Amino acid sequence: MKRREDWIIPYFKMYSGRFALYLLLGVLTLLAASMLMFTSGFLISKSATMPYNILLVYVPIVGVRAFGIGRAVLHYVERLVGHDAVLRILSKMRVRLYRILEPQALFIRSRYRTGDILGALADDIEQLQNVYIRTVFPSLIALVLYAAAVIALGVFDPWFALLVALYILILVAVLPYISLMLTRRADAALKRERNGLYQKLTDAVMGIGDWVISGRAADFLNDYERDEEAVLRKERKLRAWARWRAFIGQLVVGLTVVSMIYWSGGQVAAGQLNPTLIAAFVLVVFPLADAFLPVSEAVQRLPEYRESLNRLERISGGGASEEANAADAPPTGGTGGAAAAVPSAAELETAARRAHVKLERASFAYGREGPRSVDGVTLDLPQGKRVAVIGRSGAGKSTLLKLIQGALVPAAGAVTINGVPSAAYGDGIPRIISVLNQSPHLFDTTVANNIRLGRPDAEMEAIRRAAERAQLGGLLAGLPQGLETPMRETGQRFSGGERQRVALARVLLQDTPVLILDEPTVGLDPRTERELMSTIFRSTAGKTLIWVTHHLAFAEEMDEILFMEEGRVLMRGTHAELMEREPRYRNLYELDRPQW
Amino acid sequence: MGRGLMKYGGIKPVMAIMAGLTLIQSIAIILQATWLAEVVSALFAGAKLQEQAGGVGLFLLAFLVRQGCGLLMQKTAYRFAEQTGRSLRRQVLAKLFELGPRFAGQEGTGNLVTLVLEGVTKFRNYLELFLPRMLATGITPVLVLAYVFTLNATSAIILMVTMPILIVFMILIGLAARKQTERQWQTYRTLSNHFVDSLRGLETLKFLGRSKTHIDSIERVSDSYRSATMRTLRVAFLSSFALDFITMLSVASVAVSLGLPLIEGRIELLPALTVLILAPEYFLPVRMVGADYHATLDGKEAGEAMEAIIGAAGEEAAKASPVPAGADLTWTPRSTLALRGIGVRHEEEGDPSLDGVNLTFSGMGRIGIIGESGAGKSTLIDVLGGFLRPTSGSFELNGCGLGDLSPERWREQITYIPQKPYIFSGTLADNIRFNKPEARPDDVLRAAEAAGLGALVASLPRGLDEPIGGGGRPLSGGQEQRVALARALLSERPVILLDEPTAHLDIETEYELKETMLPLFSGKLVILATHRLHWMREMDRIIVMERGQVAESGTHQELMARRGAYYKLATLQQEGMNA
Repeated sequence: MKRREDWIIPYFKMYSGRFALYLLLGVLTLLAASMLMFTSGFLISKSATMPYNILLVYVPIVGVRAFGIGRAVLHYVERLVGHDAVLRILSKMRVRLYRILEPQALFIRSRYRTGDILGALADDIEQLQNVYIRTVFPSLIALVLYAAAVIALGVFDPWFALLVALYILILVAVLPYISLMLTRRADAALKRERNGLYQKLTDAVMGIGDWVISGRAADFLNDYERDEEAVLRKERKLRAWARWRAFIGQLVVGLTVVSMIYWSGGQVAAGQLNPTLIAAFVLVVFPLADAFLPVSEAVQRLPEYRESLNRLERISGGGASEEANAADAPPTGGTGGAAAAVPSAAELETAARRAHVKLERASFAYGREGPRSVDGVTLDLPQGKRVAVIGRSGAGKSTLLKLIQGALVPAAGAVTINGVPSAAYGDGIPRIISVLNQSPHLFDTTVANNIRLGRPDAEMEAIRRAAERAQLGGLLAGLPQGLETPMRETGQRFSGGERQRVALARVLLQDTPVLILDEPTVGLDPRTERELMSTIFRSTAGKTLIWVTHHLAFAEEMDEILFMEEGRVLMRGTHAELMEREPRYRNLYELDRPQW
Repeated sequence: MGRGLMKYGGIKPVMAIMAGLTLIQSIAIILQATWLAEVVSALFAGAKLQEQAGGVGLFLLAFLVRQGCGLLMQKTAYRFAEQTGRSLRRQVLAKLFELGPRFAGQEGTGNLVTLVLEGVTKFRNYLELFLPRMLATGITPVLVLAYVFTLNATSAIILMVTMPILIVFMILIGLAARKQTERQWQTYRTLSNHFVDSLRGLETLKFLGRSKTHIDSIERVSDSYRSATMRTLRVAFLSSFALDFITMLSVASVAVSLGLPLIEGRIELLPALTVLILAPEYFLPVRMVGADYHATLDGKEAGEAMEAIIGAAGEEAAKASPVPAGADLTWTPRSTLALRGIGVRHEEEGDPSLDGVNLTFSGMGRIGIIGESGAGKSTLIDVLGGFLRPTSGSFELNGCGLGDLSPERWREQITYIPQKPYIFSGTLADNIRFNKPEARPDDVLRAAEAAGLGALVASLPRGLDEPIGGGGRPLSGGQEQRVALARALLSERPVILLDEPTAHLDIETEYELKETMLPLFSGKLVILATHRLHWMREMDRIIVMERGQVAESGTHQELMARRGAYYKLATLQQEGMNA
């Protein structure tokens, strides 16, 4: 609970000035609207007494006009101030979320398997702006006006003020509370069931081909309609209550007006109140009610934010951050003195030019009890060596890569670059090792900017050269804007192979001695695969290559091939050696290269 | 904007009821104002408080009638919106299933699901808001104005003149705001996507060593986003400002304009007060329309998007050719299927995906379709599966002419295994007996074992009843293929279509899967499209596709001897990098 508020409360302090202004303007807006009716009522009553001089009603005349214009202007400014403040908060929240996620970057994909968690989190942040604009501030403004109205009335008659206070209490507290209690459970159930509908329909549309072929589409539709009906029944009830709630609210307003009539009439009869104020007091009730009636709806929105807040709390809270730390220093012990030996600047400079990657009986397990994902792997990669790693999913290939990148620290054995544990390089790793994986992210900006990410200070000429080396020249020549073509706009025109080439140009610009290729050709057709791989091999001469692949095509280009299974190296050697020695290898190679 | 509404079933009685309610409500609004003014002016004139009970009671009654009418109107509108939304959803879903996987793939699953779920809600919201707003705007101001005219002509003229000014201003500002938004739409979109783009690219940024410095970029872009949004809002909020400003000014003018004749004794307090109370009521419907404008617009667009799907399905259905009566569409060892000049052209201008394909399939056997990507393999499979209607050519199935293969009875003959079979959220057993829900558990188990899932079933804590798919236990690519295979086996349909069943798998899994599949293909018509040459040696006949056409067909030996397209493909794959 406490953590959930963490995403809301601190920002009140951070922007207290703007919020105070927002609140003030909000109160003034409603006050102006109320005063317009109050003064108007007074104005015509006063006029009806037929004063001998028009100057006697001059002040209310000016007041009426001023309040009329003021209310419009104030409301306009209020909305701008409010949105500005909230957008500032959103900006802060985005940075905060990013800071939380950044250290876990390499683990997000495996940790949050289901759906588009990152998109959902970004939406959650957007959703939180409603907390301020739709819930907190309308309620606060109502409360301030509540106090102001009761105090103002108290000046005339404390007892009547108390009665009105009770009426308004119904609107700003009792009705919202009852409403929240009545609907909270139904709201939650509705949300859950709607979620269920969402999943059910997604499931059906994803598998629509199977439904069509099975000839059972009608069964599904009937079943789905039944679920929709159940949701609709709940919704109907909630809506009926919302209608009744509004009706009850209006009833209270009507009662307040009647009470006001009797009170002001009584006061006038007793000589306590000028008759010209009767109309003023009665008419002011309607605009004031406009401040109190929306509170119920504002409060009922509370459960809506819960899911977003929960998700944000989960990602920023205990469990996740503990694991994130684990990424820096895993709990499996035997860290090999990683923290002790921080490489000097000179060592990093050297490694950025020449890197000798070495694994010595390296092992790693996720969790103390779990099986070893990497089990005693030894690998010697002097600068320029090219090695292919093959194995099915779960064989330990990804873990092996993370060990080499220093994102994980081996539980036993050692992973070193130029003799220094790779984990010790920390944020220096991207200067030594670059990565081309199966879905490199291309950002929603120009091709040039995407390539430039490899080295931000690179000149246009260097970017052009990198693009040439990745053999993007022909493609870019065909685009009117060339390197300045926006990536997303023509996203449809960039094929999978072309996107990989842009990413390759970026990696070439990054210019590291070691390049990890993590199944970069998955999903590409054989011709594109062949062309891309030959570009990669040609443009990375002299670099150390660690190539994770699921095919054996081009295995003959590599200096060594590793077959991994359950964390261990099952077979290793050059292509020629394996072809000669291992019948299993021959069988598999036959699939990629049928020998007829 | 409401003309399209009239086509929805049952709208006329609903409109009649609601128009009646709006009329009663408008009268109640006028009476409420009159009685309130009467009580107040009587008290002002020094009348006794005790004598006012009747007036107060009448005021309360009018007030209640007004709110009650509102309640009933909302209820009526909600009911109508619910019914219309339901029937629209039913139609859209039914049409969606008629249009099938090709259409779903084009539109995107996410878009379609959002349209059906949120779109229907928005559309309902639109109906619910639009009907009462439209009627209230049409009826209430007219009645109120007419009544005010009887009380004080000057005030009535002020109110009357204000309304067109108000509407013109709203339209002008609305247009200006739209222009402004359109002008900076591109930057706006980039800015608003920047954050989610950054989050999705976090891993890549980390690899590039840019993830820490990127925080500055997020801050900077967030800030420009705020400035851009505020620029837009400054204009966008102007329309509600104008609404506020003009109505408030109008009410103030009415109050002031009543003051002078009152001072001069030309009118009484009662009519003056009545007019003053009615002035805000006159503008209320228009203000509500302004407040709900965006919600109604959204809902209207959602409704149109759904109508478009229904329309598209209607067009497709119109193209369907009738199945001749008594046609035998079942596939037996003596059946034949002939394709005569089948062509598929997605766009008028573009190259055809299939171009004059003539083929004959007869009886059972293993047919391989090979070619590079874009050669038309998948399109051919889609045409054979009835997912896609050819734009030219015809079929002859068992001697009976057909325009396409979408008839239900043909679909019942086939099973289809795509590159990535979809695993439904449900148990393993449910997934296997998908085509045959009535299958007995031992048959399901037998199919699972034949598809090589025996070890998996044994290793699962709940065996065949283990939940898989979304929310369940994740399966590997190879296991998913095996589930699809078991599904195909259990359904005992004579034709199996496969589209790249192993291309995305790692080579060991591919090898094992092939070993499992081959024996299960016997006694069926198997049509397997792939670019993986190794399958071809196991095929009885090979069809080589090139640029949408059948380049050649025959057995492996025949085609190798001919040294044509197939031979070229084979040598290309055998050459290494340096090709």
